[in-house]
Amino acid sequence: MTASPKHQMSEKERYANFLYNKEDGTYLGRSKEGWAKICLFYLVFYGMLAALVAICMWVFFQTLDPRIPKWQMDSSIIGTNPGLGFRPMPTADNAESTLIWFEGSNKTNFNKWVNNLSAFLDKYYTPGKTEKGTASIRKCSYNQPPKRGQVCDFDVRLWGECSPDKFFNYHRNAPCIFLKLNRIYGWVPEYYNDIHDLPENMPDDLKKHIASVKPEERNTIWISCEGENPADIEYLGPISYHPQVQGFPGYYYPYENSEGYLSPLVAVQFLRPVSGIVINIECKAWAKNIKHSRADRTGSVHFELLID
Amino acid sequence: MGKKKEAKPRKLNRKDQSLKRLENFKKEIVTDHHTVPIDVLCSRLETDIERGLSQYKARQLFMETGPNALTPSRKTPEYIKFIKTITEGFSLLLWIGASLCIIAAVIEYVYRKKVDTDNLLLAAVLVLIIIMTGIFMYYQQNKSSKIMDSFATMIPQKAEVIRDGQQITVNVKDLVVGDLVDMKFGDRIPADVRITKSQGFKVDNSSITGENEPLLRTNQCTNENILETRNVAFFSTNAVEGTAQGIVIMCGDHTVMGKIAGLTARLHPSITPLARELNRFMTIITFWAVILGIIFGVASIAIGYPWIDSALFIIGIIVSNVPEGLLATVTLSLTVTAKKMALKNCLVKNLEAVETLGSTNVVCSDKTGTLTQNKMTVCHLWYNGDVVQADISEDQYDARKYTETPGFDILIRCATLCNRAEFINTRTPRKYIMKWEVRGDASEAAILKFIELTRLEGDPDEFRKAHKKLIELPFNSTSKIQLSIHALANNCLMVMKGAPERILERCKTIFINDDVEELSDELRQTCEKACFELAARGERILGFCDMEMKDTYTYSYPFTIDPLPNFPTEGLRFVGFISLIDPPRPEVHNAVETCKTAGIKVIMVTGDHPVTAKAIAKEVGIITTDSIEDAALFYNADHDETKDAIVVSGTTLRELQQDELDAILYTYNEIVFARTSPTQKLQIVEGLQRLKNIVAVTGDGVNDSPALKKADIGIAMGISGSEVSQQSADMILMDDNFASIITGIEEGRKIFDNLKKSIVYVLASNIAELAPCLMFIVCNIPLPLGILAILCIDVLTDMLPAISLAYEKAESDIMKRTPRNPNVDNLVTFRLYFLAYCHIGVLEACAGFFVYFLIMYEYGFKPNRLFGLRPEWDTYYINDLEDSYGQEWSYEERKQLEYTCSTAFMIAVVVCQWGDVLACKTRLNSIMVQGMTNWFMNVSILIETLLAIFLTYTPYMSYLKFYPVGLHCWLYALPFSGLILLFDEYRKFCIRNYPRGYFYRETYY
Repeated sequence: MTASPKHQMSEKERYANFLYNKEDGTYLGRSKEGWAKICLFYLVFYGMLAALVAICMWVFFQTLDPRIPKWQMDSSIIGTNPGLGFRPMPTADNAESTLIWFEGSNKTNFNKWVNNLSAFLDKYYTPGKTEKGTASIRKCSYNQPPKRGQVCDFDVRLWGECSPDKFFNYHRNAPCIFLKLNRIYGWVPEYYNDIHDLPENMPDDLKKHIASVKPEERNTIWISCEGENPADIEYLGPISYHPQVQGFPGYYYPYENSEGYLSPLVAVQFLRPVSGIVINIECKAWAKNIKHSRADRTGSVHFELLID
Repeated sequence: MGKKKEAKPRKLNRKDQSLKRLENFKKEIVTDHHTVPIDVLCSRLETDIERGLSQYKARQLFMETGPNALTPSRKTPEYIKFIKTITEGFSLLLWIGASLCIIAAVIEYVYRKKVDTDNLLLAAVLVLIIIMTGIFMYYQQNKSSKIMDSFATMIPQKAEVIRDGQQITVNVKDLVVGDLVDMKFGDRIPADVRITKSQGFKVDNSSITGENEPLLRTNQCTNENILETRNVAFFSTNAVEGTAQGIVIMCGDHTVMGKIAGLTARLHPSITPLARELNRFMTIITFWAVILGIIFGVASIAIGYPWIDSALFIIGIIVSNVPEGLLATVTLSLTVTAKKMALKNCLVKNLEAVETLGSTNVVCSDKTGTLTQNKMTVCHLWYNGDVVQADISEDQYDARKYTETPGFDILIRCATLCNRAEFINTRTPRKYIMKWEVRGDASEAAILKFIELTRLEGDPDEFRKAHKKLIELPFNSTSKIQLSIHALANNCLMVMKGAPERILERCKTIFINDDVEELSDELRQTCEKACFELAARGERILGFCDMEMKDTYTYSYPFTIDPLPNFPTEGLRFVGFISLIDPPRPEVHNAVETCKTAGIKVIMVTGDHPVTAKAIAKEVGIITTDSIEDAALFYNADHDETKDAIVVSGTTLRELQQDELDAILYTYNEIVFARTSPTQKLQIVEGLQRLKNIVAVTGDGVNDSPALKKADIGIAMGISGSEVSQQSADMILMDDNFASIITGIEEGRKIFDNLKKSIVYVLASNIAELAPCLMFIVCNIPLPLGILAILCIDVLTDMLPAISLAYEKAESDIMKRTPRNPNVDNLVTFRLYFLAYCHIGVLEACAGFFVYFLIMYEYGFKPNRLFGLRPEWDTYYINDLEDSYGQEWSYEERKQLEYTCSTAFMIAVVVCQWGDVLACKTRLNSIMVQGMTNWFMNVSILIETLLAIFLTYTPYMSYLKFYPVGLHCWLYALPFSGLILLFDEYRKFCIRNYPRGYFYRETYY
């Protein structure tokens, strides 16, 4: 009931005894066999637990289709408002900036942008490289949309000037920026294909362009790029879009996770931007079911250009 | 963090000073101021027995010694106390977490000019939790001690003092040593005073001795010990009769009362066992969290993570390891128990004391007023040659049945007439005569009540009126007798009572065998023997005798007693003894027995005489054997080892060395300390604590207060207890019933068991919180459980079920086992961690990850895609992260997915905690045996769930990173919840059936 007043070990001794007790041959209060037993027990226990979890997972995964996501578009979090992205991407060492800054006269300087682009476009130049040959790739056009399971190839010649051979024209201070729309399974754009039903805020240039496009080619997600402020517009100068249709052709949609699918790209070339000044540029993708949100970076994209 | 030892001598700092002062207060008073001849004292104090001090000298002394008052102890300012509460234990870890958050946010702002709302929010929430817990704990701990204030109420304001031969009234504060003071009945004594002159001066020393009976004070020194001698009256005690004059020998803090007050106010109660356990627990958790944090922090920096990320990892590890809600849970559980106990008349002042009673293994009980009723009661009668036991139970119902033998009749007549006590408000009938109010001396009151009970002669008041009192000689301490003469029908009756030996020596005849006989030597011896036997029981004995007076003494005879009685006062007829005792409370015997069954040693520590103490101790079962060791013999070579019980008197105790006292406390099971001073009570408590006992002290008087304060748990009496004792105590028995302590012990033991369950419950979710964080670092998966979600689990959903475990009923008869050994039976043991972390915790983590991977897959990220994905996932500029279906996720979208998973993970933990709380209901029994009658728990599970639903489905919760999840997510975790319960049932089954098996050895907590 009560502790004897004598017979007390020092703190240090007790500690040492706990670590290794010579008398009982115990380490950390447990003999070697004890440790072996307990390790074995937990090996078995956790093994069984892991197996159980694995089995549960496997069973549940059987209910899911490996090629079709369970939740799509609005029932998923990904939603129906695809993000718009641009390439080249700023490098990781300047992670959160959106500034494309280069010196046209300095090859080593602009080469990192060019390499970045080349790497990104690699699969467009060698289609089917990533797949194992199971993809059925074919040439599509507005009149010949792909059948189910087929994917459309992408004619890199449509990018014209914007090719790796020409360093995407970075060396001539007329850089190409590639725009891409995030893939969303099953998402079908609702096109602005009626020239009388175009939104108010669509740039006039684009409206004119749409009017000039052949009606069957109007099933396109249009792209427009502008300087953000009047000054930026002035500094930015003329813009040319490749391919000529100035958008993502509708026959690439919907994306259904088919082998070899390549997202359509639009190369935007800024022909004569003023150098030595940061130009704010905003590009937008236009379809009735694309909402532009700067904060979520969906439907529109912002970047800056600085040429030394 | 080694402590630096400062070798160089320095001035005493504040702490040392107060320690030194405390040591001074602890010393017994050794002085000869009361033994030396009065003129020696006068010359020593430069005073005069007639004229007192000179005004000049008094002023000079006042300048030197300061006022005659109690020095208040230094109080810690409130804000310091509050700061202490928010920097203790886990709070410190959380501060680290919060400051890491803020540092990260500041760096973010400085380098990127971006306000990092996530980290700032997290820091704010952490600080909020710290402050809330701090305020909560502060309120619980903040029992502003009013000990000194309660002492102050005992101190008189004014005193009559003679200086330069002139009587003046001064403030008591202005008194100095050597002052000559006048005191009269009704006053409080203004300082420790040596009496120089007195007329029937009586004081009530109950505040020092605990025994409230008037004690005579004269100018004769009767004892070496200042507490026992008759010529000293003590500061703040009450003068109840007579007048006196005396010289002040001690002032202020140096007085006996000053020492008690100083001791009580300055003693730091030893840290409660529960606090010790909690500190240990917090140390372990802190250590573990810090080690883990450092390992992963350093490793991640070494691997090359940016150190902002590393800081994030450390925050995660700290937050998930710290059970933020635990302290509040413990406090609330204790509050719940305290409320329950309050209903059973135990008022708990200090919450942690709730548990202390449960681990108590020694109870030191004061006798008077705690074990006994503090009411003198007639307990034996001796008449006609026989001892008759009186009924001392509370209702005294049996008392009405005393046989009406002639001897009884005579004794009662004598006792009725020779009694000055009177009932106050007799006409308002009260339930028990015991509780009627009486004007008069305690013994006489007891006899009067006894007479009223028997009603042998009808209403005693009427009887007395019928037999008119002709003359009376009041009791006085020199003659030790009281006599009165009453008119009978034809002649006069003289009745006398007093000390037995004085009465017997005045008697010539005796009423025995229904007849009057000559009081022969033989009969005289019989009487003395009877008297001796009753005295041995610790009873106070009064002898009674009467005489029908000769015809010469008629009503008209001019009886007088001044200067000497003009009538014979010898040759009376002895009629019997009445013995009185302060009887034990009826429930005490059972309570003591229960204590003993529960392995608790009950020690009596009293200011009363050894004989009385021993008798009461035997009566209530504190001493159960007849072979009682005399403490004086303890260190003789031939003391009897076999004896189990010992009675130690204060005088003996004074001569014992510390280790000798310890040896006595250790050796004997049944101990009674009698005639102890307040400091000795304290010494006993300290001795017991040196032997690593958890000591409960019960007491009601001012004299008990140092011991009450020092004890692990001090228990004061609510009705009879003095204010000082109540202020010093941790717990108050509102009905003064010692048996209520049993309730306390039971609740204390139960709460200890239940706290263990709460801790297992709370700790189990820790693994489910920590594992995501580790997986996040090691496997580079997107964060499965956000820090805010962790905090919500800890301080919101887990709280109520954890508290509800406090309502769980005991699994077995907890009063049949011995108290826990505080050195071995810890609150949190290795086994407990093991069970919580390695069994239940792992299962919960599995459930969480199961849900996490499933949801990620459903939305497009297969498990193999997730591993190593974290760097891209968390990079803001990557706005098109590809999932397993080739879809591209923008940053905002995938963050929303991450938070959805985090919410689902939280729900999985909540669902698992359902199973966990059911598993934690019992430590040994099956839940089938325990039942689901704990409705607080059932409701708390519901509330836990509602809280989770609220967090998940309320629209604006997205600001706190909670997103709605499908109902099926709740179902995914359900099998795991069931598995936890099933596995634990199996574990308990094994423990019950294989008491030495693996599960018992490794997981029984």
